[in-house]
Amino acid sequence: MKSAKKTSEKKTLATIFAIGLNVARGIIWISIAGLTVAMVFVPLLPMLIDWVTQFDNVHVDGDVEIEPGGLVKLARAFVSLGVGLYVIERLLELLRTIRVGTPFVAENAARFRRIGYALLLGEAGKFVFGIAGAAVGSEININLSVTSFIAIASVFVLAEVFAEGARMKDEQDLTV
Amino acid sequence: MTIAVKLDRVLLDRGMSLTELSERVGVTIANLSILKTGKAKAMRFSTLEAICKELGCQPGDLLTFIDDGAPIRDD
Repeated sequence: MKSAKKTSEKKTLATIFAIGLNVARGIIWISIAGLTVAMVFVPLLPMLIDWVTQFDNVHVDGDVEIEPGGLVKLARAFVSLGVGLYVIERLLELLRTIRVGTPFVAENAARFRRIGYALLLGEAGKFVFGIAGAAVGSEININLSVTSFIAIASVFVLAEVFAEGARMKDEQDLTV
Repeated sequence: MTIAVKLDRVLLDRGMSLTELSERVGVTIANLSILKTGKAKAMRFSTLEAICKELGCQPGDLLTFIDDGAPIRDD
């Protein structure tokens, strides 16, 4: 009875987490859509202004200048959002395994490893875009932190714990 | 190295079905099937005790060690 209550609480918590992650996923998709629109239309603005000023009585004050650093920042934002989306998808899959039964399956260890690699890629991306920004004369903060690397290491450790958990679960299932 | 389970032979000698044994010892048919087909990785003393008690046999009647030169299973 107590165990059933605990399982139910665990599933409720997993559902609450899943709702939060789904909201975050929605926000990321909206951000990606916004960035895509900006990426398509902002470079077209000078052409658009030229075209509009051809008409009589139309006068545009000001000028649109796109600095190369802006494109690097845009690319960095795409990579960050992509990593975020990938991690959220894997976390949702993890939560799904809790809701349907047990999280101690070999696939979840692989999911944690993939999350770790994605986060590592995100950190490497910061570094690469920082250098790319400097190359085009724009200052982009690389912002590498020890905490991020500790968090990534923790994810890899968690992957190993889950791999061991899956092995133990398998053994328990085959113990008569 | 293999531990072979001779549950089917003992059941046959006693004229008892797996379902009947399952009901008597309180172990699910699924678990007894795992044991019978040799897929089990471990066996609890409590299960062994219950089966031996119901079938009136010794652990040695159910399990046999076969030294086939293979290394010890560590999975």
